[in-house]
Amino acid sequence: MDRAVAGLRRRGVLAALVLLSGGSAHAQPSVVATTPDLASLANAVSDGAVRVESLVPPGGDAEAFQPRPAHLALVRGASLVLRIGLGYDEWLDRLLDQAGRPSLRRGGEGQLDLSTGVALLEVQGSSVEARSGHAHGAANPHYWLDPANAGPMSAAIAEALVHLVPERRSEIEAAHARFAADLRGRLAAWTVRLAPHRGAALVAYHNSWPYFARRFRLNIVEVMEPKEGVPPGPARLAALAASMRAQDVRAILIEPFAPADAARALAARTGARVVPLAPSVESAPGTGGYLALFDHDVELLAAALDEAR
Amino acid sequence: MGDLASLLLLPFLAAVIFVGMHTWLGLQVLRRGVVFADLALAQLSALGATVAVAAGHAPGGPAGFGYALLFAGAGAVLLTFSRRVSAQVSQEAVIGIVYVVATALTVLVVDRSPQGAEHVKRMLVGDILTVGAGNVQTLALLYGAVGLLHLACRRKLLAAAGGAPTLLWDLVFYGSFGLVVTSSVALAGVLLVFAFLIIPAVIGTLFSPRAGAALGIGWAAGTLASLLGFAASVALDLPTGAAMVAAFAAVLLGAVLLHVPRAGPRGVAMAAVGVVALAVLAQGIWLIASPASDQPLLAAFERVSGLGPERSMTAGERRIFAEATETEARNRREVERLRAAEREARWKGEGLGEEDLRRVASFQQTFNEMGRGERFVQDHLRAVARERERWTVGVPAVAASVLALLLVYRPRRRRAT
Repeated sequence: MDRAVAGLRRRGVLAALVLLSGGSAHAQPSVVATTPDLASLANAVSDGAVRVESLVPPGGDAEAFQPRPAHLALVRGASLVLRIGLGYDEWLDRLLDQAGRPSLRRGGEGQLDLSTGVALLEVQGSSVEARSGHAHGAANPHYWLDPANAGPMSAAIAEALVHLVPERRSEIEAAHARFAADLRGRLAAWTVRLAPHRGAALVAYHNSWPYFARRFRLNIVEVMEPKEGVPPGPARLAALAASMRAQDVRAILIEPFAPADAARALAARTGARVVPLAPSVESAPGTGGYLALFDHDVELLAAALDEAR
Repeated sequence: MGDLASLLLLPFLAAVIFVGMHTWLGLQVLRRGVVFADLALAQLSALGATVAVAAGHAPGGPAGFGYALLFAGAGAVLLTFSRRVSAQVSQEAVIGIVYVVATALTVLVVDRSPQGAEHVKRMLVGDILTVGAGNVQTLALLYGAVGLLHLACRRKLLAAAGGAPTLLWDLVFYGSFGLVVTSSVALAGVLLVFAFLIIPAVIGTLFSPRAGAALGIGWAAGTLASLLGFAASVALDLPTGAAMVAAFAAVLLGAVLLHVPRAGPRGVAMAAVGVVALAVLAQGIWLIASPASDQPLLAAFERVSGLGPERSMTAGERRIFAEATETEARNRREVERLRAAEREARWKGEGLGEEDLRRVASFQQTFNEMGRGERFVQDHLRAVARERERWTVGVPAVAASVLALLLVYRPRRRRAT
């Protein structure tokens, strides 16, 4: 209920801001991010120099997002758009076409695709092919779930913001330096927290966690969904149970709003724990910012693995 | 194997319970001519559950069920009264309106609570595979109670279904229907519940106008279809709900073929030959008309028989085709090897640095693109071969299927005279 009310209030405020910014030449420049994670990073490095909004609401599924008229108004008023890329927020292209802002389109200087600055996993090819089976496009798009990637991502956002409001350069650079130092400190702590579980065998419901697993040296042995959005069939579940026992899988990672029944059934058969990790900012209580997201996920997973030992 | 058996036991039990209750309700639905009433009631209960989530209750909890039941109950009252005004407006129209309005309202409510979206999707799609022991127990108790009530009042209910509207018995029917649908849709999903409700009842009605006999036949057919659906889901690793709906359709098709009056085994065989001949005829004409397009039946035949498109290529083309196939397989193996090595490096040994990772990604991309190039070569040569098969395969296929159709058609005409 709180979340729904907060969402309503946020949208009301947002609509009012859009209306206000229409007539004012001195308003703060608007930065529109496709996901709450990118919005959180932009907020962390902007030091209030710009107004940041996320198109996908907290807890929403970015891959299934459907833009509304208010989003069109938001994009029309934007000076910079931040996107995940790799087919994850493909709907942004249609939205930008409708908004009639050529500078914001792919390749334009008003668009920052954060996937270009990080090393990608599970690369398919430059074109998406129907027979590849997984709906993820050119590579696995969940790269923000490696907190180390927030280094190059926040640097790129800070650079774009300086370009947008050069008069606020010193504040933005100072905010970015603070964020980078905080990130380094916390990353070291997260790594220590999960170090005892290096190589721990895990199963994920959806293929969202390869970057996270690589950063913290975890071994995701299976993904339950045979294809994105398709629940596992009985033969697959039985094979998963056998494979989980053989490899001593101790935890099943699942997004808070993914169907948990199949994961629970597997957990009951194998003794593994179902761990509802948050895949994005504000998708679970206590994940109100990019760094808080990893505080939450790392602690939840480490505690579950501690208990399972 | 133990895992598989224990995974399937409860879902199969649930399916048998569903068939038991829904076949009986389905017979009444058919008599009343309100085939889509269950979709409207299911959508209303989904709306109720969504409102519960938006009001802050946990998805799938008792409050959610209460809200779902309340909304389905309101729908039941609405459907009861809609029958009384059906002289002016057909009841089917009311059902359709209830369905679309409930769906639209659900979308609007979900929009205010993104976390509820997955729950609503589950209410409508369901997953019979994850039914637990507690669910089966609740189902058995609930359906047992509804079943006893219906058993006691079966004559009144059947009379109300076939005859003039009576407020009390219409309300009893729609009320218990709403209760049953609310609980079954949450577990098995709209598609499967519709199949449970309508298909066994249709099969039963095909073979007997008497409710008792139709019910028995429907139960047998529904249980057989559930068994086939689970078997297909396991053997072919298909999503269980969709595989079961397909199995229900297959059993219905079988029942229709058995039922064709005076057809007998010979008639069934002739109908089968006719269907196959028509399919071959359509494929032959399509191959002649547009050889470069997809040729589904021909491709399936090639896969099963092992006779590839190579047979219509020249020696040179065949060599290039074989090379492209081999190179593509090699590239795929290379991509797999890189993928496995990168996956292992995520947790084993020193791990890959960012630069190493970029290099791996670049190799993967290159091999994938090269593989795509080889597939392009294969597709081109296949199109060239199909161009020739227009005459060597298409024309004989058309001729043979026309001949077969003539042979099937002639004896029927003789018998008719």
